[in-house]
Amino acid sequence: MTAHLTLEQLLALREPGAEPGAAAAREHLDACPTCQAELDALHQRVARLRALPALRPARDAWPAVASRLRHERRGRRARLLGAAGLALAASLALAVTIRHDVAHPASLSATEQAIDTQKQHSAALEATIRQYDPDARPLDGRTARIAEELEDRIAGLDRELEAAELLQAQTDREARRLQLWRERVGLLDALVDVHVTRASNVGL
Amino acid sequence: MDLLPVANAEAVVAGARAGDPAAFEALYRAFEAPVYNLARRICRTAEDAEDVLQETFFEVCRSIGHFRQEGSLWGWIRTIAASKALMRLRRNRYRDTDELADDAPAPGLRRDEPALRMDLEAALERLSEISRAVVWLHDVEGYTHEEIALMMGRTTSFSKSQLARAHTRLRRWLGEEVAR
Repeated sequence: MTAHLTLEQLLALREPGAEPGAAAAREHLDACPTCQAELDALHQRVARLRALPALRPARDAWPAVASRLRHERRGRRARLLGAAGLALAASLALAVTIRHDVAHPASLSATEQAIDTQKQHSAALEATIRQYDPDARPLDGRTARIAEELEDRIAGLDRELEAAELLQAQTDREARRLQLWRERVGLLDALVDVHVTRASNVGL
Repeated sequence: MDLLPVANAEAVVAGARAGDPAAFEALYRAFEAPVYNLARRICRTAEDAEDVLQETFFEVCRSIGHFRQEGSLWGWIRTIAASKALMRLRRNRYRDTDELADDAPAPGLRRDEPALRMDLEAALERLSEISRAVVWLHDVEGYTHEEIALMMGRTTSFSKSQLARAHTRLRRWLGEEVAR
Protein backbone atom coordinates (compact mmCIF):
# COMPACT_ATOMS: atom_id res chain seq x y z
CA MET A 1 0.00 0.00 0.00
CA THR A 2 1.57 3.30 -1.10
CA ALA A 3 -1.30 5.85 -0.77
CA HIS A 4 -1.75 7.42 2.67
CA LEU A 5 -4.49 6.07 4.89
CA THR A 6 -7.84 7.81 4.86
CA LEU A 7 -9.39 9.13 8.03
CA GLU A 8 -11.94 6.29 7.85
CA GLN A 9 -9.07 3.77 7.81
CA LEU A 10 -7.33 5.45 10.73
CA LEU A 11 -10.58 5.46 12.72
CA ALA A 12 -11.10 1.79 11.90
CA LEU A 13 -7.67 0.98 13.31
CA ARG A 14 -8.84 2.27 16.70
CA GLU A 15 -11.79 -0.12 16.79
CA PRO A 16 -11.55 -3.45 18.59
CA GLY A 17 -11.34 -6.43 16.25
CA ALA A 18 -9.74 -6.57 12.82
CA GLU A 19 -11.74 -5.14 9.94
CA PRO A 20 -11.09 -6.12 6.30
CA GLY A 21 -7.84 -4.49 5.15
CA ALA A 22 -6.69 -3.77 8.69
CA ALA A 23 -3.49 -5.79 8.34
CA ALA A 24 -2.41 -3.92 5.22
CA ALA A 25 -3.35 -0.59 6.79
CA ARG A 26 -1.37 -1.44 9.90
CA GLU A 27 1.61 -2.37 7.77
CA HIS A 28 1.45 0.96 5.95
CA LEU A 29 1.07 2.84 9.20
CA ASP A 30 4.19 1.26 10.68
CA ALA A 31 6.22 2.55 7.76
CA CYS A 32 4.61 5.96 7.16
CA PRO A 33 5.47 8.93 9.43
CA THR A 34 2.75 11.06 7.80
CA CYS A 35 -0.02 8.59 8.68
CA GLN A 36 1.50 8.12 12.13
CA ALA A 37 1.29 11.90 12.63
CA GLU A 38 -2.33 11.85 11.45
CA LEU A 39 -3.18 9.05 13.87
CA ASP A 40 -1.43 10.91 16.70
CA ALA A 41 -3.47 14.02 15.90
CA LEU A 42 -6.62 11.90 15.99
CA HIS A 43 -5.71 10.45 19.39
CA GLN A 44 -4.95 13.91 20.73
CA ARG A 45 -8.21 15.31 19.41
CA VAL A 46 -10.16 12.55 21.15
CA ALA A 47 -8.18 13.13 24.35
CA ARG A 48 -9.04 16.83 24.18
CA LEU A 49 -12.72 16.02 23.63
CA ARG A 50 -12.68 13.85 26.74
CA ALA A 51 -10.98 16.61 28.69
CA LEU A 52 -13.59 19.26 27.87
CA PRO A 53 -15.03 20.73 31.06
CA ALA A 54 -18.31 19.25 32.26
CA LEU A 55 -21.29 21.48 31.58
CA ARG A 56 -23.70 21.92 34.45
CA PRO A 57 -27.39 22.86 34.48
CA ALA A 58 -28.25 26.43 35.36
CA ARG A 59 -31.16 25.28 37.52
CA ASP A 60 -31.82 22.46 39.94
CA ALA A 61 -34.20 20.17 38.05
CA TRP A 62 -34.98 17.93 41.03
CA PRO A 63 -38.05 19.86 42.32
CA ALA A 64 -39.70 19.50 38.90
CA VAL A 65 -38.88 15.78 38.69
CA ALA A 66 -40.07 15.19 42.26
CA SER A 67 -43.27 17.10 41.64
CA ARG A 68 -43.98 15.03 38.52
CA LEU A 69 -43.33 11.82 40.43
CA ARG A 70 -45.60 12.92 43.28
CA HIS A 71 -48.33 13.90 40.86
CA GLU A 72 -48.16 10.53 39.16
CA ARG A 73 -48.09 8.67 42.48
CA ARG A 74 -51.01 10.68 43.82
CA GLY A 75 -53.03 9.99 40.69
CA ARG A 76 -52.30 6.29 41.01
CA ARG A 77 -53.23 6.32 44.71
CA ALA A 78 -56.44 8.25 44.04
CA ARG A 79 -57.46 5.62 41.52
CA LEU A 80 -56.60 2.83 43.96
CA LEU A 81 -58.26 4.49 46.95
CA GLY A 82 -61.30 5.37 44.88
CA ALA A 83 -61.85 1.72 44.07
CA ALA A 84 -60.88 0.54 47.56
CA GLY A 85 -63.06 3.20 49.21
CA LEU A 86 -66.12 2.15 47.23
CA ALA A 87 -65.52 -1.49 48.09
CA LEU A 88 -64.97 -0.64 51.75
CA ALA A 89 -68.14 1.47 51.93
CA ALA A 90 -70.18 -1.27 50.28
CA SER A 91 -68.83 -4.00 52.56
CA LEU A 92 -69.33 -1.87 55.68
CA ALA A 93 -72.89 -0.99 54.70
CA LEU A 94 -73.72 -4.62 54.06
CA ALA A 95 -72.13 -5.75 57.33
CA VAL A 96 -73.95 -3.09 59.35
CA THR A 97 -77.30 -3.93 57.73
CA ILE A 98 -76.96 -7.66 58.35
CA ARG A 99 -75.76 -7.15 61.92
CA HIS A 100 -78.65 -4.78 62.72
CA ASP A 101 -81.18 -7.17 61.32
CA VAL A 102 -79.82 -10.13 63.22
CA ALA A 103 -78.44 -8.82 66.51
CA HIS A 104 -79.78 -5.27 67.07
CA PRO A 105 -83.04 -4.90 65.31
CA ALA A 106 -84.24 -1.98 67.36
CA SER A 107 -81.36 0.28 68.33
CA LEU A 108 -77.62 0.95 67.93
CA SER A 109 -75.24 0.02 70.74
CA ALA A 110 -73.21 2.76 72.41
CA THR A 111 -70.10 1.56 70.56
CA GLU A 112 -71.85 1.65 67.22
CA GLN A 113 -73.11 5.14 67.94
CA ALA A 114 -69.55 6.18 68.71
CA ILE A 115 -68.41 4.59 65.43
CA ASP A 116 -71.08 6.50 63.53
CA THR A 117 -69.90 9.74 65.13
CA GLN A 118 -66.31 9.02 64.04
CA LYS A 119 -67.50 8.20 60.51
CA GLN A 120 -69.31 11.52 60.34
CA HIS A 121 -66.15 13.34 61.48
CA SER A 122 -64.17 11.42 58.92
CA ALA A 123 -66.55 12.35 56.10
CA ALA A 124 -66.49 16.03 57.13
CA LEU A 125 -62.68 16.11 57.14
CA GLU A 126 -62.50 14.39 53.73
CA ALA A 127 -64.94 17.00 52.39
CA THR A 128 -62.69 19.76 53.74
CA ILE A 129 -59.68 18.27 51.96
CA ARG A 130 -61.60 17.81 48.68
CA GLN A 131 -62.78 21.41 48.88
CA TYR A 132 -59.19 22.57 49.33
CA ASP A 133 -58.18 20.59 46.18
CA PRO A 134 -54.58 19.83 47.22
CA ASP A 135 -53.65 18.29 43.84
CA ALA A 136 -54.03 21.69 42.23
CA ARG A 137 -51.65 23.37 44.69
CA PRO A 138 -47.85 23.26 44.81
CA LEU A 139 -46.24 21.73 47.92
CA ASP A 140 -42.66 21.99 49.10
CA GLY A 141 -40.80 18.69 49.29
CA ARG A 142 -41.06 18.20 53.06
CA THR A 143 -44.79 18.97 53.21
CA ALA A 144 -45.43 16.66 50.27
CA ARG A 145 -43.59 13.82 52.00
CA ILE A 146 -45.62 14.32 55.19
CA ALA A 147 -48.88 14.36 53.20
CA GLU A 148 -47.88 11.19 51.35
CA GLU A 149 -47.03 9.45 54.60
CA LEU A 150 -50.43 10.38 56.08
CA GLU A 151 -52.24 9.23 52.94
CA ASP A 152 -50.36 5.93 53.07
CA ARG A 153 -51.30 5.41 56.70
CA ILE A 154 -54.97 6.19 56.00
CA ALA A 155 -54.93 3.66 53.16
CA GLY A 156 -53.43 1.13 55.60
CA LEU A 157 -56.20 1.82 58.14
CA ASP A 158 -58.84 1.26 55.47
CA ARG A 159 -57.37 -2.15 54.81
CA GLU A 160 -57.42 -2.88 58.56
CA LEU A 161 -61.07 -1.80 58.75
CA GLU A 162 -61.93 -4.33 56.09
CA ALA A 163 -60.05 -7.00 58.04
CA ALA A 164 -61.84 -6.00 61.29
CA GLU A 165 -65.17 -6.93 59.70
CA LEU A 166 -64.01 -10.54 59.70
CA LEU A 167 -63.51 -10.72 63.47
CA GLN A 168 -65.89 -13.32 64.92
CA ALA A 169 -66.58 -11.93 68.39
CA GLN A 170 -68.92 -8.96 68.11
CA THR A 171 -67.44 -7.11 71.10
CA ASP A 172 -63.94 -7.41 69.73
CA ARG A 173 -65.10 -6.41 66.28
CA GLU A 174 -66.90 -3.24 67.43
CA ALA A 175 -64.07 -2.19 69.74
CA ARG A 176 -61.54 -2.68 66.96
CA ARG A 177 -63.64 -0.77 64.45
CA LEU A 178 -64.08 2.14 66.87
CA GLN A 179 -60.34 2.27 67.52
CA LEU A 180 -59.56 2.23 63.78
CA TRP A 181 -62.13 4.91 62.95
CA ARG A 182 -60.72 7.12 65.71
CA GLU A 183 -57.23 6.69 64.29
CA ARG A 184 -58.53 7.47 60.82
CA VAL A 185 -60.12 10.71 62.05
CA GLY A 186 -56.84 11.63 63.77
CA LEU A 187 -54.85 11.11 60.59
CA LEU A 188 -57.36 12.97 58.46
CA ASP A 189 -57.25 15.82 60.95
CA ALA A 190 -53.46 15.93 60.56
CA LEU A 191 -53.83 15.85 56.77
CA VAL A 192 -56.18 18.83 56.92
CA ASP A 193 -53.54 20.61 59.00
CA VAL A 194 -50.86 19.82 56.43
CA HIS A 195 -52.88 20.94 53.45
CA VAL A 196 -54.93 23.75 54.84
CA THR A 197 -52.75 25.34 57.47
CA ARG A 198 -49.42 24.16 55.98
CA ALA A 199 -48.40 23.17 59.50
CA SER A 200 -44.81 22.07 59.27
CA ASN A 201 -44.87 19.98 62.42
CA VAL A 202 -47.64 17.44 62.71
CA GLY A 203 -45.85 15.12 65.05
CA LEU A 204 -44.72 12.51 62.50
CA MET B 1 -17.44 6.14 36.41
CA ASP B 2 -18.14 5.42 40.08
CA LEU B 3 -20.38 8.24 41.19
CA LEU B 4 -21.67 6.33 44.19
CA PRO B 5 -19.59 3.93 46.28
CA VAL B 6 -20.84 0.38 45.69
CA ALA B 7 -22.32 -0.08 49.19
CA ASN B 8 -24.04 3.28 48.92
CA ALA B 9 -25.31 2.50 45.45
CA GLU B 10 -26.89 -0.74 46.64
CA ALA B 11 -28.63 1.02 49.53
CA VAL B 12 -29.82 3.86 47.31
CA VAL B 13 -31.13 1.49 44.64
CA ALA B 14 -32.90 -0.61 47.28
CA GLY B 15 -34.48 2.55 48.73
CA ALA B 16 -35.54 3.77 45.30
CA ARG B 17 -37.07 0.39 44.50
CA ALA B 18 -39.11 0.72 47.70
CA GLY B 19 -40.30 4.15 46.53
CA ASP B 20 -38.32 6.18 49.06
CA PRO B 21 -38.30 9.83 47.86
CA ALA B 22 -34.97 10.47 49.62
CA ALA B 23 -33.38 7.63 47.62
CA PHE B 24 -34.75 9.07 44.37
CA GLU B 25 -33.20 12.41 45.23
CA ALA B 26 -29.88 10.75 46.14
CA LEU B 27 -29.82 9.15 42.68
CA TYR B 28 -30.50 12.49 41.09
CA ARG B 29 -27.79 14.28 43.08
CA ALA B 30 -25.21 11.60 42.25
CA PHE B 31 -25.84 11.55 38.50
CA GLU B 32 -27.23 14.98 37.68
CA ALA B 33 -23.94 16.43 36.37
CA PRO B 34 -22.89 13.66 33.95
CA VAL B 35 -26.44 13.26 32.64
CA TYR B 36 -26.74 16.97 31.96
CA ASN B 37 -23.30 17.11 30.36
CA LEU B 38 -24.19 14.24 28.02
CA ALA B 39 -27.52 15.84 27.16
CA ARG B 40 -26.00 19.26 26.60
CA ARG B 41 -23.28 17.88 24.32
CA ILE B 42 -25.92 16.25 22.14
CA CYS B 43 -28.77 18.76 22.27
CA ARG B 44 -28.67 22.09 20.51
CA THR B 45 -29.85 24.23 23.42
CA ALA B 46 -29.49 24.33 27.20
CA GLU B 47 -33.30 24.25 27.47
CA ASP B 48 -33.47 20.99 25.54
CA ALA B 49 -30.71 19.55 27.72
CA GLU B 50 -32.61 20.53 30.88
CA ASP B 51 -35.73 18.82 29.52
CA VAL B 52 -33.68 15.70 28.81
CA LEU B 53 -32.28 15.85 32.35
CA GLN B 54 -35.80 15.90 33.81
CA GLU B 55 -37.12 13.22 31.48
CA THR B 56 -34.15 10.99 32.22
CA PHE B 57 -34.59 11.08 35.99
CA PHE B 58 -38.35 10.74 35.76
CA GLU B 59 -37.72 7.57 33.76
CA VAL B 60 -34.95 6.41 36.11
CA CYS B 61 -37.22 6.76 39.17
CA ARG B 62 -40.12 4.99 37.47
CA SER B 63 -38.03 2.17 36.02
CA ILE B 64 -35.51 1.53 38.78
CA GLY B 65 -37.20 -1.85 39.35
CA HIS B 66 -35.96 -2.89 35.91
CA PHE B 67 -32.32 -2.09 36.69
CA ARG B 68 -30.30 -5.28 36.97
CA GLN B 69 -27.92 -5.01 39.86
CA GLU B 70 -25.08 -6.84 38.12
CA GLY B 71 -24.79 -4.04 35.54
CA SER B 72 -23.30 -0.59 36.02
CA LEU B 73 -25.78 1.90 37.48
CA TRP B 74 -24.18 4.75 35.57
CA GLY B 75 -24.19 2.69 32.37
CA TRP B 76 -27.93 2.09 32.77
CA ILE B 77 -28.71 5.73 33.54
CA ARG B 78 -26.44 6.92 30.73
CA THR B 79 -28.24 4.80 28.15
CA ILE B 80 -31.58 6.26 29.26
CA ALA B 81 -30.12 9.77 28.99
CA ALA B 82 -28.61 9.14 25.56
CA SER B 83 -31.88 7.71 24.27
CA LYS B 84 -33.83 10.68 25.60
CA ALA B 85 -31.36 13.13 24.04
CA LEU B 86 -31.51 11.38 20.65
CA MET B 87 -35.30 11.29 20.89
CA ARG B 88 -35.23 15.04 21.49
CA LEU B 89 -33.11 15.52 18.35
CA ARG B 90 -35.61 13.51 16.31
CA ARG B 91 -38.53 15.42 17.78
CA ASN B 92 -36.88 18.72 16.89
CA ARG B 93 -36.22 17.49 13.34
CA TYR B 94 -32.52 17.69 13.74
CA ARG B 95 -30.34 19.77 11.51
CA ASP B 96 -28.21 17.44 9.41
CA THR B 97 -25.84 20.02 7.96
CA ASP B 98 -22.92 21.67 9.67
CA GLU B 99 -23.14 25.23 10.83
CA LEU B 100 -20.16 26.04 8.60
CA ALA B 101 -19.98 24.19 5.30
CA ASP B 102 -16.63 22.66 4.40
CA ASP B 103 -15.41 25.38 2.13
CA ALA B 104 -17.42 28.36 3.34
CA PRO B 105 -15.30 31.16 4.80
CA ALA B 106 -16.15 32.23 8.30
CA PRO B 107 -18.04 35.50 8.65
CA GLY B 108 -15.67 38.41 8.04
CA LEU B 109 -13.06 36.31 6.25
CA ARG B 110 -12.51 36.11 2.53
CA ARG B 111 -12.19 32.70 0.92
CA ASP B 112 -8.44 33.21 0.30
CA GLU B 113 -7.61 34.14 3.89
CA PRO B 114 -5.83 31.64 6.17
CA ALA B 115 -8.02 28.88 7.58
CA LEU B 116 -10.03 29.83 10.59
CA ARG B 117 -8.81 28.10 13.73
CA MET B 118 -11.56 27.55 16.19
CA ASP B 119 -11.32 26.27 19.69
CA LEU B 120 -12.61 22.76 20.27
CA GLU B 121 -15.82 23.85 22.01
CA ALA B 122 -16.78 26.10 19.11
CA ALA B 123 -15.89 23.48 16.52
CA LEU B 124 -17.92 20.81 18.33
CA GLU B 125 -20.86 23.19 18.57
CA ARG B 126 -20.74 23.79 14.82
CA LEU B 127 -20.98 20.13 13.84
CA SER B 128 -24.33 18.89 12.63
CA GLU B 129 -26.43 17.53 15.49
CA ILE B 130 -26.12 13.94 14.34
CA SER B 131 -22.35 14.13 13.77
CA ARG B 132 -21.87 15.74 17.16
CA ALA B 133 -24.00 13.09 18.84
CA VAL B 134 -22.03 10.29 17.19
CA VAL B 135 -18.61 11.77 17.97
CA TRP B 136 -19.61 12.36 21.59
CA LEU B 137 -21.21 8.96 22.16
CA HIS B 138 -18.33 7.12 20.48
CA ASP B 139 -15.21 9.04 21.41
CA VAL B 140 -16.17 10.36 24.85
CA GLU B 141 -18.83 8.06 26.26
CA GLY B 142 -17.29 4.95 24.72
CA TYR B 143 -20.30 3.49 22.90
CA THR B 144 -19.56 1.17 19.99
CA HIS B 145 -20.86 1.86 16.49
CA GLU B 146 -23.27 -1.05 16.92
CA GLU B 147 -24.71 0.47 20.10
CA ILE B 148 -24.98 3.92 18.55
CA ALA B 149 -26.68 2.49 15.47
CA LEU B 150 -29.19 0.70 17.70
CA MET B 151 -29.98 3.84 19.69
CA MET B 152 -30.34 5.94 16.55
CA GLY B 153 -32.27 3.37 14.57
CA ARG B 154 -29.64 3.52 11.83
CA THR B 155 -26.94 1.22 10.49
CA THR B 156 -23.43 0.67 11.83
CA SER B 157 -22.07 2.08 8.54
CA PHE B 158 -24.06 5.25 9.14
CA SER B 159 -22.46 5.68 12.55
CA LYS B 160 -18.98 5.09 11.15
CA SER B 161 -19.44 7.52 8.29
CA GLN B 162 -20.81 10.18 10.65
CA LEU B 163 -17.78 9.78 12.90
CA ALA B 164 -15.37 10.11 9.96
CA ARG B 165 -17.28 13.12 8.72
CA ALA B 166 -17.13 14.73 12.17
CA HIS B 167 -13.38 14.20 12.46
CA THR B 168 -12.79 15.55 8.95
CA ARG B 169 -14.60 18.75 9.94
CA LEU B 170 -12.97 19.03 13.34
CA ARG B 171 -9.51 18.49 11.88
CA ARG B 172 -10.05 21.25 9.36
CA TRP B 173 -11.68 23.74 11.71
CA LEU B 174 -9.04 23.18 14.36
CA GLY B 175 -6.22 23.64 11.84
CA GLU B 176 -4.85 20.16 12.50
CA GLU B 177 -4.49 18.89 8.94
CA VAL B 178 -1.23 17.05 8.40
CA ALA B 179 0.68 17.99 5.24
CA ARG B 180 0.70 14.98 2.91
